[in-house]
Amino acid sequence: MIESQRHSYHLVDPSPWPISGSLGALATTVGGVMYMHSFQGGATLLSLGLIFILYTMFVWWRDVLRESTLEGHHTKVVQLGLRYGFILFIVSEVMFFFAFFWASFHSSLAPTVEIGGIWPPKGIGVLDPREIPFLNTPILLSSGAAVTWALHAILAGKEKSAVYALVATVSLALVFTGFQGMEYYQAPFTISDSIYGSTFFLATGFHGFHVIIGTLFLIICGIRQYLGHLTKEHHVGFEAAAWYWHFVDVVWLFLFVSIYWWGGYMK
Amino acid sequence: MAMAMMRSSHLRNTTLLRSGCRSSAPPKRGFASTSQQHEDAQEAAKWQKITFLGITTCFLLACNVLSKGHHHHEEPPAYQYLHIRSKEFPWGPDGLFELKRHDD
Repeated sequence: MIESQRHSYHLVDPSPWPISGSLGALATTVGGVMYMHSFQGGATLLSLGLIFILYTMFVWWRDVLRESTLEGHHTKVVQLGLRYGFILFIVSEVMFFFAFFWASFHSSLAPTVEIGGIWPPKGIGVLDPREIPFLNTPILLSSGAAVTWALHAILAGKEKSAVYALVATVSLALVFTGFQGMEYYQAPFTISDSIYGSTFFLATGFHGFHVIIGTLFLIICGIRQYLGHLTKEHHVGFEAAAWYWHFVDVVWLFLFVSIYWWGGYMK
Repeated sequence: MAMAMMRSSHLRNTTLLRSGCRSSAPPKRGFASTSQQHEDAQEAAKWQKITFLGITTCFLLACNVLSKGHHHHEEPPAYQYLHIRSKEFPWGPDGLFELKRHDD
């Protein structure tokens, strides 16, 4: 098959995963709405949809890894396309978070009379930005440094060192998530406590969700590095994970400065 | 950020392509590739140091922050905008991560 190909593009084979993923997304949406409105069978449909999506993700990415490692389809030009695709995905993620920051600033810059005309609203016991949030900042930054260490180790052909670097990255990520969980657990306000709670938990919660996704992505990269899938010239998956991780890091800096620090400032 | 990423990866690609295209002779590993590898090894060592420095800083900071313990907030008065409940959750009357308040 490869012999007859006179170009370096990858023409993919027909795959059932786009339609299975779409059906999973449909079941998740309908199931989610049904569950939240306490319809019978809502929880079942929601769970089925989520299982379907997770299954699709697993088999689809398994196919991509096979196309890359066993079939050798990821030529230079295919790698470039994958990079463009991932950058566009990150741009869409930036817009996703832009909306949450917009909601937060919209509510905090001119606080309405319903919340007493002040921000944070009266009665909200804000989290001290100088404690756990401040500690979490160097944790995430160090983890960003560790992922850069991993990149250069891969480029220098130091396979073992790259695995150690990824272990360090993931460990720091887990510590960050642990501290965030602790902070959520101890927080004196909840998502239903005024627009402050809503904007706070929406923004930080989605960030935390992205940290978890990035951690899983980096764990997969660590396993693939250990198995010898990643080489000096073939490590697009790792590169994507590293970009994603830096993106999550930058979002945290904005969250820390605007929502925890400025938005939680009490006179 | 995205632009810088693209530029760096693009630069790497074009330099690789260029070095491959310069002569029609079979590609051989010259000084260029080994020096690049040496540079990457140096960068790896540098970032390893930065990572360890960062971890040490985090550890010290964590000891400092955690030794303070957490302060207890007073229960705020029942303002209208707090603890909003317009309908019951699918799993029951309480929020997932909060104290049970419905029975008092």
